[in-house]
Amino acid sequence: MGASVPSEAGAEGGPARSERSFGATLSSALAPVTGLLRSLEIDTRMLGMVAALAIIWISFNIVSGGTFLSARNLWNLSVQSASIAIMATGMVLVIVSRNIDLSVGSMLGFLGYTMAMVQAVWIPQSLGLGQPYTWIVTLVIGIALGAAIGGLQGFIVAYGGVPSFIVTLGGLLIWRGFIFRYAQGQTIAPVDTTFQMLGGGTVGTRVGALGELPSWTLGVVMCVAIVFLQITSRRRRRRYGFPVRPMWAEVLVGAVTCGIVLGTVWVANSYPLPPNVAEAYAQEHGIPTPPGGLFIPTGVAFPVVIMLVVTLVVTFLATRRRFGRYVYAIGGNPDAAALAGINVRRTLMLTFALMGSLAAISAAVQTARLNAAVTSLGTQNELDVISAAVIGGTSFAGGIGTVPGAILGAVVMQSLRSGMVLLLVDSPTQDIVVGIVLVAAVGLDAVVRRRVS
Amino acid sequence: MSRHVAVLAAAITLVVSACGGTSGGGAAGTSAAAAACTVGVSWNNYQEERWAKWDEPAIKAAIAAGGGKYVSNDAKSSAETQASNVDNLISQGAKALIILAQDGTAIKPAVAKAIQNGVPVIAYDRLIEDPKALYITFDNVLVGKLEAEAVFKAKPTGNYVIIKGNKADANADFLRSGMEQVIGAAVKSGAIKIVGETYTDNWDPPKAQTEMEQFLTANQNKVDAVLSENDGMAGGVIAALTAQGLAGKVPVSGQDGDKAALNRVALGTQTVDVWKDARMLGKSAGEAAIQLCKNSDPSKVTGTAKFTTPGGNSLSSILLTPNPITQANLKDVLDAGWVTKADVCQGVAAGKVAACN
Repeated sequence: MGASVPSEAGAEGGPARSERSFGATLSSALAPVTGLLRSLEIDTRMLGMVAALAIIWISFNIVSGGTFLSARNLWNLSVQSASIAIMATGMVLVIVSRNIDLSVGSMLGFLGYTMAMVQAVWIPQSLGLGQPYTWIVTLVIGIALGAAIGGLQGFIVAYGGVPSFIVTLGGLLIWRGFIFRYAQGQTIAPVDTTFQMLGGGTVGTRVGALGELPSWTLGVVMCVAIVFLQITSRRRRRRYGFPVRPMWAEVLVGAVTCGIVLGTVWVANSYPLPPNVAEAYAQEHGIPTPPGGLFIPTGVAFPVVIMLVVTLVVTFLATRRRFGRYVYAIGGNPDAAALAGINVRRTLMLTFALMGSLAAISAAVQTARLNAAVTSLGTQNELDVISAAVIGGTSFAGGIGTVPGAILGAVVMQSLRSGMVLLLVDSPTQDIVVGIVLVAAVGLDAVVRRRVS
Repeated sequence: MSRHVAVLAAAITLVVSACGGTSGGGAAGTSAAAAACTVGVSWNNYQEERWAKWDEPAIKAAIAAGGGKYVSNDAKSSAETQASNVDNLISQGAKALIILAQDGTAIKPAVAKAIQNGVPVIAYDRLIEDPKALYITFDNVLVGKLEAEAVFKAKPTGNYVIIKGNKADANADFLRSGMEQVIGAAVKSGAIKIVGETYTDNWDPPKAQTEMEQFLTANQNKVDAVLSENDGMAGGVIAALTAQGLAGKVPVSGQDGDKAALNRVALGTQTVDVWKDARMLGKSAGEAAIQLCKNSDPSKVTGTAKFTTPGGNSLSSILLTPNPITQANLKDVLDAGWVTKADVCQGVAAGKVAACN
């Protein structure tokens, strides 16, 4: 634990001298900007990421001739990012507590396989095919098992004193090995038709998305929740005598956050159902075909709904509950946290259990999306998840990191990947680009943060 | 004292024989091996299901039918271990070797040594670049050709997407060259336009799904046919097509005889599944080994032809013909006992597919 602390301190040494004049100019030029940011209480890292994402999106859009920013591609992108983003929210807490979980990809594979077995083999064999409750039973079993094996790893880390790197490296091998043990390399398919909805796919005329009106409702509900959180937070800060944002800054932050949520809904509703699906859907629901052709909005996909709910819940846990504040306190200084009376071991174990259950949710999304469990399910996902958290501003030194940042990190990663596929870039080159971006993002951020702050 | 020595000796014998890892049952005594034809099989990784379930029983049966004896060991995915395993098999009295190479280049010195000592070598399923080895495999170029033929027959013109396997795997290119034999002329004449072609890391199905989604997006769904090099990736492709309501309307290829893929063939969402019966491969290798015991010249084995390797060597080979499975001949996999009818026909409407009735 905390083995990575010295590396950041060491990086302060060498090249600083030659860059000092540059840094000084930069910080004086940015002085009004940093003042603004301070009153908005926005991390420069977060802002840099938004800028990076904008650059990536705009350049892909230009090169792809307008395809990248089409409603359809953005809808795809949101679904493709969801499973990594869901796990990244948990990874933030794990890394903040000065730990790491390398086993998430293998856990995902194992849990996805288990859930596929439950619904494609065990339930049909014992109770018959097509039970209405199959999907929910499967999901509950998956999440419980995920929490159990995540918790077991956490127990060994927290109470056994084995470094999390080692425990989860073992987990990476063990859970992957179990997949081969009980499936012998076979693909398990197909999954339950209701379960498939969790992946955002289409079965006949059933679409794994909310549709137009429920999507807007979701957007409005989330906006109300955001504003409510802002108001309560402001009140509480007043009560304890903490500084509050100026009113204009508060309104601006609220407006931008709401804007992002409603923008997402608008994009999802601008993506119509594919013609074949729309025709069948219209026939079934008795909708007449207008002369200009059908336009049935798809709405926010279920994996994205799941991701939004997970984000809200984990953010709430991290910022408003004792558990989350303990995690940050432990990451900031484990000894001080223990002396302050925090049950460090229990908190750490719970962090890993949370990670395990999130891996189960992602496993459900991925299995449902592919409509099959394959042995390679989740391979190398641990790297994507850790990258998303780190690009999103989580520090390996512990104590620093935000859930929304990790979501943004996951979107950045997936934008690069799917954008390059759109431009017919082959996979080895994709890996090179993503690798460079990972190192550059963290490196650039370290430089800028030193200069500006 | 002497009793302790005896116990120790017994223990050592036990350990040694256990480490030898002979999965062929009874211990391999050198004395008994001299008379009959002992065939040594070196597996690269016996942990994988396929070898134990399909290949080994077929090899064993063929050797037993020829009056031979089977010994084997497992290299556990290590090229170094496999080199010493080959020596071990020879000292166990093997008169012919069947090698499933972990690394076709690293095994070359051990193979050359065996052949010099008069022990012929069969390169099983994977190529070993030694001109004196006998190469027995399914014809991968032909697999690619059969995949393309079935799809081409269903859609002779239009926009094609090609989803290839791992770039580092030579088979990905063998398969692609077979496809070229079928669609090459049509691509040149403009009847077929390739609107997307990519390698896929580790033949990973979820990656193939993302690739297919992006190709569909880039072409506004104007994709008429998909050549996927294997079944796993075909599953990803078909999931992407389903989301656009196109599954069953766009022909898709695959290979491997996966249960899930054969089910898709029955359902009509996958056009063809090129099936390579591992038991045929095992049988062919076992029979060839028995023949090699009598005459160590590979070119004298029945059914061999010359094969020019990517490395420029010319060696004797037996290339088995794979069987393209479509809805019309689904019965073949059922008759062969490869999969059960319940698995293949799951969810198929009654009376739609002959094999499921």
